[in-house]
Order: sequence, then C-alpha cells, then structure tokens
Amino acid sequence: MKPLFAKICVPLCGVAVAAFFAGCASSGVKNPSGVPVTHMNADEQGFVAGTGVESQDLVHVADKMARSILDIPQIANASTAPTVVLQPVGNQTRFPINKDIFLTRIRAQLNSKARGKVMFLARNQMEALEKERNLKREGAVTASANPMVQEFKGADYFLTGSLQGISTRTAAGTSDYILYDFHLIDARTSGIVWEDSAEIKKQGLEDAAYR
Amino acid sequence: MKAPWQPTLLAMLLIVAGCATPTSQVALTGNVLVDGPNAIANGPPRDRVLWQYRTAAAAMRQGNFGLARQQLDDAIRTLGGIYGNDPGARKARSYFHGEDKKTFIGEPYERSMAYIYRGIIYWMDGERDNARACFRSAEFEDSDAENREYAGDWVLPDYLDGLATAKLGGDGMDAFKRAQSLARGVKLPPYNLKANTLVFLEFGPGPAKFAGGQYGEELHIRTVPSPVTSARIGVDSLRIPVAPTDDVSFQASTRGGRVMDHILGNKAVFKSTTDTIGNVALIGGIATAAASRDQTTQEIGLGIALAGLVSKVVSAATTPAADTRTWDNLPHYLSFACFPLPAGPHVLTVEFLDPSGRALANLTKTINLNITAADRDKVVFVSDSSATPQTL
Repeated sequence: MKPLFAKICVPLCGVAVAAFFAGCASSGVKNPSGVPVTHMNADEQGFVAGTGVESQDLVHVADKMARSILDIPQIANASTAPTVVLQPVGNQTRFPINKDIFLTRIRAQLNSKARGKVMFLARNQMEALEKERNLKREGAVTASANPMVQEFKGADYFLTGSLQGISTRTAAGTSDYILYDFHLIDARTSGIVWEDSAEIKKQGLEDAAYR
Repeated sequence: MKAPWQPTLLAMLLIVAGCATPTSQVALTGNVLVDGPNAIANGPPRDRVLWQYRTAAAAMRQGNFGLARQQLDDAIRTLGGIYGNDPGARKARSYFHGEDKKTFIGEPYERSMAYIYRGIIYWMDGERDNARACFRSAEFEDSDAENREYAGDWVLPDYLDGLATAKLGGDGMDAFKRAQSLARGVKLPPYNLKANTLVFLEFGPGPAKFAGGQYGEELHIRTVPSPVTSARIGVDSLRIPVAPTDDVSFQASTRGGRVMDHILGNKAVFKSTTDTIGNVALIGGIATAAASRDQTTQEIGLGIALAGLVSKVVSAATTPAADTRTWDNLPHYLSFACFPLPAGPHVLTVEFLDPSGRALANLTKTINLNITAADRDKVVFVSDSSATPQTL
C-alpha cells in the first residue's frame, strides 16, 4: 500500500499546475473584449444610474410640461400663435446640470407636436440677427423685405422654471428628491398664466466598500 | 518510505503563484501633468478617478482650467453613479483582495474637494447656480460622518452657497449663518453683492493616508503642519489679510469609522485565526509524525501538518490591508476673499505668510487681471504652488 502522503501528492501537484495556468489566464479583467454599444431609449433607466438628473427624468418632465402648456386657454384658444421667449432655468439642486436642456426639449416637443400653436423667439441668437439686419440695412446683402421696418417680435410670454431639491444622506443610503417647476409668465402683466410641476425621488446605497 | 516533500512544496508554490493577478503599471515621472493623463489612459481603471483628481488639482495650479474641468467632470460622473452592485467593491470586501481593488472615488474629504474645485470652475465660467450645486454636493459628501458634530462641517462651501444664492437674487442668509456657526475663530465677512473679484486660495501640504494595525487593516490620516498659515492679497491700494476658512486635514481626520473598517477588521481576525490554526496544526502534526514510530500515526500527523500548511496559505492570501491611495496634492488650508474692482487691468499679488506673519518670498504669486465688466464676476484661483505670473 502506498503511504497516504504519496497518494495525495500526485493529485495535489496536478491541482497546483492547473491552478497555476488558470491563474495566469485570469488577469482580473472583466469583459476583456469590451461591451458592445447598447442603444437605450432616452426614457428608460440604463445600467448606469445615479440619484441625480438623468435622461429619463428629462423626457418625463419635458413631455408632461409640453402637454400641459398646450391645454391652457391662452394657447389653445389664441387666434394667432402667442410668441414665447425661453428664460434660463434656475438650478437650486445639489446636481450641476445643463438645465437649459429641459427648455430645449419642451420647445422641440411643442414645435413638433403642436406646430403653429406657439411661436418661440430666438432671443439667444439676437446678436447674429441684429448683425444680419444691419448688413441688409447697409445694402451689403440682399433683403426680401424692407429692412428698415422693425420686424423682430416682442414676447407675449416668458417660459422659465426651476429645479429644487432635498437631499439626505445617512447610513441607510442617499435620497434625492427634485421638484421640477415650470411656469409661463405674461410679458405684459407679469401674471403667471400657467404653472406645472413634476417631482422625482430617487434613493440608492453604495457598496459597503464605499461607506 | 521517505516522504516526497519537494514536489509538495513546489505544488504549494505553484498554487500561490497561479493565484497572483498581474496588474498594469505605468512608469511615473513625478510630474502629475505627465503621469496623470498617462495613468488615466493606460493604468488600472480602478485608479482612474484618483489620477483625474490629481491631474485636475495640478492643472488648476498651472491655470489650465479646461483640463481640470474635463477631469473633474468625468470623476464626478463616476462618483455620482457608484450605487449598487460593483464588482471591484465586491472584490475589495472579499477575504483575498485588498481594499484597493475597488474603484477609487476617495474618502468623503476627497470627494468634497473634487466638488469644491469643480464649483470654482463653474463660477469662473459664469454658471453660479451650477457652482452652488457643487458646493452643496461638497457639503453633502461630508454629511454622514460617524460623529454628527463633524457632519457637513465645511465652512467655505456653505459660505459660497449663500453668496451664489445672494448673487442670483435669492436669500443666502441661512447658508451664511450655517457657515459662520462652523467657522472656528474666524469672523466671515458679510456678503457684498458688488464684489466682482473672487479669490480662492489654498496653501500648505494636505493630508495623507497610511495603514496601521497588525495587518495594515486600519486606515489612518497623517497630517503635517503647514509652513503657510495665512495669506495677504494686494491689489491696487487694497491689502487684504486672509485667514484659512477650512482645514482639509481636519476634515480628513474627523470622518470617524467606516463600514469598511468593520469589514477589514473581520478580515484581520480571519487572517490571524487561520495563521494561528496553521501554526498549531503544522507544529503539532510534524511533532506527532516525528515522535511516533507507528506509520498510521505518522500519516495522521503529516495530514494535520498539511492541513496546517493549507491554513497558513489561506492566512497568507487573506488581505485585510486598508486602501491608502491618496489624493496626494491636496492643500492643507482653503480660504477665500472677494472685493469690488473697477473694469480694466489690475495686478493682484498673493503673499503666503508663515505662522509669525512673515511673507515667504519664494511663494508670492502675481496675477494679471483684466476686469471686463464690473457686473461679471472674475474668479481667481491661487495656490502656494501655482505657476506665476498668470494672466486672467
């Protein structure tokens, strides 16, 4: 009979050699071939998520606001399309974001889904517009209408909003509530003729390794 | 029959060698602006944020705010999306990997500093509300300290939150009062909405992490006294003394215990226990085998010794070491001053003062300012290691 030690020596050596080669092959790299590009809908939560403002929030909020604006009598019953100027959105949350993206999406939704019901004025392009008008007035470029006539429109309404948040962090995790508030201001009377809001709350907990 | 020790030892060595995981290393030159981009591109992904932090701080001192903005944005995206399942973090919690296997996002004081730097750049870019968002996040990152007395106790982020709010037409007094209550021995100046020149100062060597305990399982913070303890700003006829508002080393050392410390403690106990069991089994087994003339007893003794050896290997493979990766170019102190300047060119000098109030001549910085409009904020960032002169 072979001694016990000799018996276990052969399989032990075999396991060791296998472990050696297996160890060499695994360099600890996950997905060494990478992950192919995944197309996501903008309104769905992807596999990369935080508690801040994300694309699905933008889509949800902007769609809700665009539908809500179209229902108000000042827009729905207007004989001529009211002119609207976008004013910067105030960010009062703890998340640095490009907040004007909300207004861009609301404007795009209104222009594409309710063409002709409202007219947005490109006030952010005033410098280029004035320059072009001056070139026409000087005769440096052609004009299809009398450039001396003032045709830049004034605003009937201002569309603006704010993002406000409440954030909590405890051992149980992080919680972020954001209130998205938008309103339409009558440029003549300063009255707020429409206001709507959306609220989103998210919670998450980091791995214990980060706590 | 003679026991075959050599093949067994070789086998054990092969097992240990086979388990070793190769890691990608980058050659360091000592210049963060060279090493940082290189490590971000070619180094381990888990260290990416660490190098982004370091690169951003170094870039800000060179006046390269574009590079700092890019690095901080990417780092902040990582630390904002760290929730839930994370393979690196899971590995860091396992017995056989060190804590540094997790994706680095830094301890709360480091995360806060990332937000503070980004807030400064947002303000520089004229985005006061996003700057304020960053200052709020900086305070937020510090809000779950074990000792509640030290939770969310940065002074400057609260002060700047209120200042940004006031400049945006809101009421910043709540934030101001909070900042004043946290400022130890410093009377904060009331908000001056006409102040269009905002000077952010930082000086002194920042905190460093080191591992303590039997197996390096305890995370400690080393702080060194700063040779610079205050500063003096000179511009036109103004001479403005500036005391520190925040002590980064204090923030680093008052965080208190972490959940991860408990996990590392468990790892250390496991390592110690398996090592002790291994010692007892090895010695006992070999002694039994050596003392006995009976073959069966010898075999049992050798079996116990082998089990002890396995236990020693498990102990050796257990890694309770704390993660000591440090954002190593942070300052010791932060401070701030703001004042009104008329439109036009100005020369601003910053003298850094030692504890006796003497200016350290080799640290004096000169900034050539061009105030384009009295109603637009000019943001100046000066470190005691900033390049000089700079033109803004």
